[in-house]
Amino acid sequence: MLFYFLKGSKRYFGLSLFFAACVSLLDLFFPRIIAYTVDNVINNLNTGGNRIIIYFASLFGGSLYLRKHLYLVAVMVLIVAILAVLSRYFFKFLNSKGAERFIKRMRDELYEHILKLPMTWHNTNHTGDIIQRCTSDIDTVKNFVSEQLTNFIQVVVMIIIAIAFMATINPALTVVAMILMPVILVYSIVFHNKIAESFYHVDNMEGKLSSIAQENLTGVRVVRAFGRELYEKKRFESMNEEYISTWTRLMRLLSEFWALGDLVTGLQILLIIATGSFFCVRGYMTAGEYIAFIAYNSMLSWPIRMLGRVISDMGKAGISIDRIMYIMNSIVEPPLYTNKLENRSALLAKAATDLSPSEVTEIMKKDIVFDHVSFSYDNETKVLDDISFRAPAGSTTGILGGTGSGKTTLMELLDRIYDLDNSNGRISVGGVDINQIDRSLLRQNIGMVLQEPFLFSGTLRENISISAAYPNNDEIERAVRIASLNKAISEFSNGYETYVGERGVTLSGGQKQRTAIAQMLIRNTPVMIFDDSLSAVDPETDLKIRKALNDLNSPSTKFIISHRISTIMNSDMILVLDKGRIIESGTHKELLENNGRYKRIFDLQRSGGEVLNE
Amino acid sequence: MNKNKYRHFGIPLVIPFMKPYRKRILLMVFLGILSSLIDSVYPLFNRYVLDNIIISKTLATLPSVILLYIALLLFQVWDNYFTTYTCSRLELWMDRDLRNKAFTHLQTLSFSYFNRHNVGYIHSRIMSDTGRIGELVSWRLMDIVWNLSYIICVILVMLFTNIKLALVIILLIPLAVAVIVFFQKKLIPLNRRVREINSTITGDYNEGITGIHTIKTLVAEDRMNSGFRADTSEMEKTSVRTAHHSSLFKSSMTFISYFALALVLWQGGKLTIENLMFIGTLSVFMTYALDILEPIQNTINTISVLITIQVNIERLINLLNTESDVKDSKEVIEKYGDIFSPKYENWEELEGDIEFRNVSFIYPDGNEYVLKNFNLKIPYGTNIAIVGETGAGKSTLVNLVCRFYEPTKGQILIDGRDARERSQSWLHHHLGYVLQTPHLFTGTIRENLIYGKPDATDEDIMNALKTVFAEDIVNRMEDGLDSDIGEGGNMLSTGERQLLSFARAILADPKILVLDEATSSIDTMTEKKIQNAIAALIKGRTSFVIAHRLSTVVDADIILAVKDGKIAEKGTHKELMDLKGYYYELYTSQYIDSLKDI
Repeated sequence: MLFYFLKGSKRYFGLSLFFAACVSLLDLFFPRIIAYTVDNVINNLNTGGNRIIIYFASLFGGSLYLRKHLYLVAVMVLIVAILAVLSRYFFKFLNSKGAERFIKRMRDELYEHILKLPMTWHNTNHTGDIIQRCTSDIDTVKNFVSEQLTNFIQVVVMIIIAIAFMATINPALTVVAMILMPVILVYSIVFHNKIAESFYHVDNMEGKLSSIAQENLTGVRVVRAFGRELYEKKRFESMNEEYISTWTRLMRLLSEFWALGDLVTGLQILLIIATGSFFCVRGYMTAGEYIAFIAYNSMLSWPIRMLGRVISDMGKAGISIDRIMYIMNSIVEPPLYTNKLENRSALLAKAATDLSPSEVTEIMKKDIVFDHVSFSYDNETKVLDDISFRAPAGSTTGILGGTGSGKTTLMELLDRIYDLDNSNGRISVGGVDINQIDRSLLRQNIGMVLQEPFLFSGTLRENISISAAYPNNDEIERAVRIASLNKAISEFSNGYETYVGERGVTLSGGQKQRTAIAQMLIRNTPVMIFDDSLSAVDPETDLKIRKALNDLNSPSTKFIISHRISTIMNSDMILVLDKGRIIESGTHKELLENNGRYKRIFDLQRSGGEVLNE
Repeated sequence: MNKNKYRHFGIPLVIPFMKPYRKRILLMVFLGILSSLIDSVYPLFNRYVLDNIIISKTLATLPSVILLYIALLLFQVWDNYFTTYTCSRLELWMDRDLRNKAFTHLQTLSFSYFNRHNVGYIHSRIMSDTGRIGELVSWRLMDIVWNLSYIICVILVMLFTNIKLALVIILLIPLAVAVIVFFQKKLIPLNRRVREINSTITGDYNEGITGIHTIKTLVAEDRMNSGFRADTSEMEKTSVRTAHHSSLFKSSMTFISYFALALVLWQGGKLTIENLMFIGTLSVFMTYALDILEPIQNTINTISVLITIQVNIERLINLLNTESDVKDSKEVIEKYGDIFSPKYENWEELEGDIEFRNVSFIYPDGNEYVLKNFNLKIPYGTNIAIVGETGAGKSTLVNLVCRFYEPTKGQILIDGRDARERSQSWLHHHLGYVLQTPHLFTGTIRENLIYGKPDATDEDIMNALKTVFAEDIVNRMEDGLDSDIGEGGNMLSTGERQLLSFARAILADPKILVLDEATSSIDTMTEKKIQNAIAALIKGRTSFVIAHRLSTVVDADIILAVKDGKIAEKGTHKELMDLKGYYYELYTSQYIDSLKDI
């Protein structure tokens, strides 16, 4: 599956690896040039040396000529340097280019997939957790492909070439020089694996400390009014102390690790100095070769020390990929309904139905029928129980019920936010089962205003016209007027261009609801659903909006959910819901005569107004 | 003036916080210099070995070289261990001290500060600015010390060894500095841009996930996708540009190193051939040629980090220098103690009589009087309802009674004495406050309920719960009072959270109670329950209710109708209805339509 994301970036990674090998090879060439210069040119020995370097030097006239024209050695170094530096540039650049493309693809696919996942998936997975997977897990993977993986490969190639080079100079000293390498490597891997847990622990503590501060700030009125500043101070300070001391323990371990690394690296150099000088004095090796060995060692020691960390970090990347794939492997909403999981992918491929968009729009203008509909989120408790009713084309249906009565679920089934299994009843529009209508087309024809609407970062205009095909100013202004939002907009200094959403102006609950109403009106859908969407609006404005909607004389079929009787009492039909069942239905008048639940709620809500009747 | 205040990267402002650790800092700096000195002389071992052992072909001095090397190595390892550990501890201590200081200071600040700055902003001051400053005085300080002293040591060693070769390398340093500065100027804004786009992308995910319901109902998937793709494309473009510059930067630095090496080989080789220099010295210079650029780069990097930390210092110091608008006088603190050390023994009982006497008030960030010569006597036990449209300024009076703000003119008397004669803690200890959106803390039900009365017994708690009809919330939960209610109480419904915040207020048994009724929609049955709870809550207390529910308003002893920030009308329900003014208008508009069709 990871290969799926690699599409379009593979060639960059391939080329980058080629240049990585060039970098290793060329970098390791310098000590050879130095050794040759010291031995053959300066000390005028004819000990032979490496064949490649002798050939290379012969291009510049050989050792004797070089001895007289020493600047040519500098030219030799610079030629290799230019090649090495160019390779390094391409290695780093192509690698980043590949990684960026790879990550873009991954982010795009992930985002698109998340939007397609069904509501049930979103309800069962925590927002914070999904966002973490999309951000920090992606960063971990990015780090892995752009840094760790290539660095790892480059270091390994470098070690292999270095060992080969060193062995051609002096196999015995190579063994001595490399003898501590496995020790450093294994120690480093073990240490980093062990310490990963401590890092996790520290992160956790930081989270706790951070939320104490957060709650103190958001609850500043509570803290002050209860006079609990001292308590808060003590609580924060003790958590802070705990956090700091955990960090300190971790830092102690890390410092020990680094110190030990320094010690081993230092000992490795000492081994080379001692053995190397001994070999030189005995005549097994030349001074130039000794210098080359020291150079190789200093080139290798740091990458090897880092290698352990890279290897243990790779484990983290594996976990992150799994966490991302969990999302990618979740099954998205199929356009048409099916209860067979294995068929879903086949249905996904067949995106559209036989019904054209205009046909769907025509159908949606007809009667809506709920036929013995039952529904449960978890297959245990029924949220809706045997609901049957008909909403004739162009009528208004009011739905009244307490929290948890299932009124919102009822409407979400109509919008196919949740799918109704055919064994649990049928919802049809104009005689067509909505499960047989393409999901997107269905939703395009239903406007639904949520109780807690979400505004996107952007201007008010952008938010209002977000799902309008070609919004024009007249339409926007008309919708805004009906939604009674015009006054609020004129009070913002930037009017329609006021930036809202997370990083913009904070709108009140009522303003948000009114924005959402305007957002729906502009779509001109044949079906309109108001899900308790005037609850945060003051009663005066509530009345104004309802009047304006009434004056519209729109042919749309409307559903209004509320627990304010005044909001729904003018509906053609009112359904009273309790625990998922329709307990009463009829017009306002009929229901009052019925003297049931509706009447009781009506009396309760009216009780404050009795004074008026005196 | 500001320029003067923040010169030297704002570091002088931080120095007072480093005082307690100055001995350690000095030791650390000293050992850091020592460590860089040792590091810079290591190549001299090679020189000695090459010249005195390898070339002279005698092993006589090798054992003493090894011993000296080991001694130096052990000291160096200990030194490095000590400096890194001290450095990290210093960082953590500074973090801790600054964070505590900022948090504590925030507890004393007045509400105008919290109104001016949002929670996210203040939170970053406590959590991230402190960390950055801690990093500055520890690791960044060590970076500068170590790298600079290494550069100086190397230059000195080179100059003493061979002036001509030393000058060859030293002359390359300005070139390197120029290259580093050139690329840093390009890279700093690019990196900033990458971070910005990154947070935009995080915001996009956040929006896509938290707004999923809305997206689905609006069928806005395509539009969201194309918006997201525009952001990721921008990210790719900017990152690739950054990669180009940073790769070029790294390559250029490597090239300068090799250039130095080439020069050393050429000039040093010549000297060696002419026997003016030994191989060992040549090898030392080659090592320095390759090693000296990195510390230079590190130093410049650190300086650019210092520039960015300046902002953090500035913001944190601003927070610490902000003074509360509402302060207790010296005499008051002397008698009643401050908020962190209250002198309970001197505290009088609070009866609950309140009087506004000629009070005028302007908000600190406002320019208009919202109260002018306002007079009102509120005897103990009075229930005051404040009504008006959203945003009309209903909470002004409450803010003054709670001393969240002080009157601009006039005085507020509590039990006949000016409120300023006694401490804020004294007042707050006798005050209960119930917010419109109840704020509960992460933790258990018990922890939340005893917030205002830490020594409450189980019986007290259960009684309080019974009074507000909330005992079934506890009975329903598996662990009873010790049940966890989740982050900010998110495992409970809004109605339940409201009832618990009532119980919390009852338990504290305040003489004065402020209640901001919720407007949020709760179904009628729950609403009835909450109304009863409110009635129980305000009984026997002087209470201020920012009212939305008619029953609360109608039964109030005094109603204040607020319009455009000012108190428009004052009286009982009957008086105000007879007046047929603003209150009448408000009241009737709310209910007229529910009656018209009957």
